[in-house]
Amino acid sequence: MKKWSLFALPLVLFVSLAVFLYQGLFSDPRSRPSSVVDTPLPPMDLPDLMFPEQRYSVTDFEGKVTLLNVWGVWCVTCAIELPYLTELRQQGVNIVGLYYDQDVDPDFGQKTLAEIQQEVRLKLNQLGNPYQYNIFDTYRDYSLDLGVTGAPETFVIDKTGHIRMHHIGDVNPRVWEHKIGPMYQRLLQE
Amino acid sequence: MQRVIVMALLLFSLCAVASEEIYEFDDPAREALFKELTLELRCPQCQNQNIADSNAMIARDLRRKVYQLLQQGKSREEVIDYMKARYGDFVSYEPPVTPATIWLWVLPVGFVILAGWVIARSRPTARVDDEDKLAKANAMLENDE
Repeated sequence: MKKWSLFALPLVLFVSLAVFLYQGLFSDPRSRPSSVVDTPLPPMDLPDLMFPEQRYSVTDFEGKVTLLNVWGVWCVTCAIELPYLTELRQQGVNIVGLYYDQDVDPDFGQKTLAEIQQEVRLKLNQLGNPYQYNIFDTYRDYSLDLGVTGAPETFVIDKTGHIRMHHIGDVNPRVWEHKIGPMYQRLLQE
Repeated sequence: MQRVIVMALLLFSLCAVASEEIYEFDDPAREALFKELTLELRCPQCQNQNIADSNAMIARDLRRKVYQLLQQGKSREEVIDYMKARYGDFVSYEPPVTPATIWLWVLPVGFVILAGWVIARSRPTARVDDEDKLAKANAMLENDE
């Protein structure tokens, strides 16, 4: 009896530890539950990137399902997903950009709005324009309210202006087919 | 000699936390709180760095937000709650006690108790019952010498 437990106890401990650590090998350290899912969009009062006199609030999201795509021209992965997002727009998906700039330091501004607009126009001409419009997150406060950690990230907003999905990373055919697409279709039915 | 001094100095050098921005506070207590919070809040993008230590944009933005919130007179708890509401428990280096994290405290204590129990049970009970054998062994030892 004693001999048996001396052998079995370490074995059980070892196996459970090994299983636990083995799972860790394949888990993505960056994936973690978002804390903004199933909450309403935070209050918004931000200008359009191209036409700053036009301002947006959360009521602009009501009545339609929207992909809110956080991006910037400086972001490499965003450039990769732009052509695919453009394809999705052609299929009728409603995509709105939340643009933020890296070089605009709110405390020591360096870049002018005209320069940013020029960069964006160039990029969208080159790779395709998936956006109905771009909201300019001037001080990057709004991305902070959304729990954005970096670009690109995509939020699925339902017809009542609630965030229903927070996707970190690029949108590609695989992600669309298995993750975002089904949610988008379901929300259209709601 | 100089070499020795330089090496001694290197031994005692500490890593400095470098950030470009300078935040000015009127109240030294608030400044201390700012330092404390930026050391305790975790950068959501870079793994395993606090926001005082990281130069990622998100860390810079979070530092700025901490500064703004403190200037608005928010307390330590309010700042942490503000961050947790947006970035989850991940953002704080102090994990809350939940059914999933309770094991962090229970397991080590349980292990110590288990080990104590095992040690207590397996105390060596070295007794020689046979007086004859003992005498024989002693005789052998003496013969050896």
